[in-house]
Amino acid sequence: MTGVTSTRRGLMQAGAGVALAATVPATARSQSGPLRVGVMTDLSGPFAGAGSQPLFWGAEVAIALFNERGGVNGRQVQIVSADSQSRAEVAINEAERLLGQEQLEVVTGIYSSAHAVPLSGRFEQSKKIMWITSAISTAVLKDKNMRYVFRPTVHSDQYAEASVSFIHEHAKARLGMDPDKVRLAVIYEDGPYGSGVAGGIEVEAKKRNMPLVMKEAYSATAPDLSTMVTKLRRERADIILHVGYNPDITLFLRQAKSGGLRFKALIGHGAGYSQIDKLVETFGADVNHVCNVDPAGTQMLDQSKLTPATAALAKVFVERYSARHQVRDLPTHASMGFNNTWLFLENVLKPAVTKTGGMSADALREAALLVDIPVGGSIQGYGVKFAQPGTPMSGQNERSSPVVMQFEGAVAKVVWPTAIAGGPPVLPLPAGHTYAAR
Amino acid sequence: MDPFLLEALLNGVLLGGVFALPALGLNLVFGVVDVVWLCYAELVMIGMYAVWFLYTQAGWPLPLAFAACLPVVAGLGLALHVLVVRPLLTAPPINQVLATGGVLFVLQGAATLVFKTDFRSLGVDMPPMELGDVFISGTKLIAFCAALIGAACLWAFLKFTYVGTAIRAIARDREVMPLMGVDPKRIYLIASGVGGTLAGLAACLLVVQLDVHPFVGLSFGPITFMICVMGGLGNMLGGFIAAFLMGLIISIGGFYGSTELSYVIAFGFFILMMFIRPQGLFAR
Repeated sequence: MTGVTSTRRGLMQAGAGVALAATVPATARSQSGPLRVGVMTDLSGPFAGAGSQPLFWGAEVAIALFNERGGVNGRQVQIVSADSQSRAEVAINEAERLLGQEQLEVVTGIYSSAHAVPLSGRFEQSKKIMWITSAISTAVLKDKNMRYVFRPTVHSDQYAEASVSFIHEHAKARLGMDPDKVRLAVIYEDGPYGSGVAGGIEVEAKKRNMPLVMKEAYSATAPDLSTMVTKLRRERADIILHVGYNPDITLFLRQAKSGGLRFKALIGHGAGYSQIDKLVETFGADVNHVCNVDPAGTQMLDQSKLTPATAALAKVFVERYSARHQVRDLPTHASMGFNNTWLFLENVLKPAVTKTGGMSADALREAALLVDIPVGGSIQGYGVKFAQPGTPMSGQNERSSPVVMQFEGAVAKVVWPTAIAGGPPVLPLPAGHTYAAR
Repeated sequence: MDPFLLEALLNGVLLGGVFALPALGLNLVFGVVDVVWLCYAELVMIGMYAVWFLYTQAGWPLPLAFAACLPVVAGLGLALHVLVVRPLLTAPPINQVLATGGVLFVLQGAATLVFKTDFRSLGVDMPPMELGDVFISGTKLIAFCAALIGAACLWAFLKFTYVGTAIRAIARDREVMPLMGVDPKRIYLIASGVGGTLAGLAACLLVVQLDVHPFVGLSFGPITFMICVMGGLGNMLGGFIAAFLMGLIISIGGFYGSTELSYVIAFGFFILMMFIRPQGLFAR
């Protein structure tokens, strides 16, 4: 019966230990042991296949590499992962778990804007850091004076500006049309991500006097988009600007083909359009010359434009990611996951822990507001400087920038901004292309 | 007539054909067994994966992959009945709904484990039919014809065979029929197998139109249930007609309004009908 006695005694001792631990301030506990960082992405549900899975894998590589390089003064970073299952209510519940039960000071990740919008308020209220590595909706931060929410990546207004500027810039020379004659149409999923980019496109088109002949929302889970295709044909749109996740993107492309939709260019805006391998697997040469706006995947960039240390980091990342996950061309979300997580670990976590010995949200916030990385200092090319509290986009990286890329032979190449483009874009779609206007 | 409006009308009819088959299968099972298979769309999803796997991974010819899909999903339907539904036949309806709802999550989870979250595609395409300014999707047209043939076969089976007659009779009066010598257990099993076969056929038609992923059921599952309820749960003809009605509402609503609005109209119409005819539009 010794075993029973010792078990009971052990349980009592363990219980007493837990009770004692609960009385120790969190700050004191965070002075030693691993540095626990939340990573919330969608590992199941439709968003997983639309970029959220590679976002997580990229973050995983960043944390493993950071730990290999010594962590913070020997203290390792420990991932506390959460799967938001492509559902906002699950994301909210998981955030409650990470903040409550897990008592985390920071959660990184967040793929979907539909999750980021409600979560940002919760993090702000609990004064814990939300470090957004993917969700782009401008509405997450605009005019909200967020103090604990940071987004190193690009926001939706920048996507809109990039795609409309790209067409405006090339209209005369490549399309042979005055910009004010180019008929734009925007179709978008009806969440904050789609609505944010589409709203921005409307503003940018108006600013440049370009006609927006159709603007239509749909649900990303809609089983049929054929009537929308019929209307796009009726409106004779030259340029289709599409903001979708997946599988709505593949549904649209398939129904556009069978519905006889033809156009001069198709521009996607991240998410499913950034899953290059998947698109090629499904559509083959039909996705050649399709354009996409997103922060650049690091492999698309001229590495000589990055600082030498950043270029070396990018090389290690591409090698490790490619070795672990069989891909022809890295999805941009992999770079986003790695880059934005690395920026946090190296430039926020490390200085905060080094300075204070712990990792309280306030110390992390203070460190984040001091980050000042010039252009070329991150593996996606952009620099980092967060808009300060009291400004309209408080918490947004003011130096983030997207690119327009174009697919050719299953590889994405940067075609805008012209200053860093690998070559001129193929515009309009060449004769013989499945979707080329005739 | 405006060719674009005509195209939207045709789109609506073809979309109705897509909804019709799963609605028929679900209604058949409910009409006979009196249990709603909440996981019906997930049976279709498994069938879609079966076709995808056999065609793209195992290298089977597509017709053979389609042919194999039917018994696979029919078997799943039988297994669902034997393992989950039959033990709960006398349980309160909420238990039955929760159990088949649980199977929904099990199937989604199993598909995620086996096939991951990637979107899988057959990569099969049919050229569209061009009639002047009107384009008709070849894939959808074939799917529509196959749905009609499937529905006709089901009708013939129910009308002209002894088992079919017994199924209809059980659907009419499940208490009296056992007194006439019909074994309800056997009929329930057959109806579940036929319901599974229809899910398999729906899988064959959908897999050429939609990418397969573990959550593809979300695209057509909820609307299939809505169609069944609108047509009168258990009423196969009602469900069949309601599928086309819903297809037309979505398509024409989308044409005159927006795609988003069309679903608002469709769901609004459904709610209105629940007030006016809660037993379903075509319930006797």
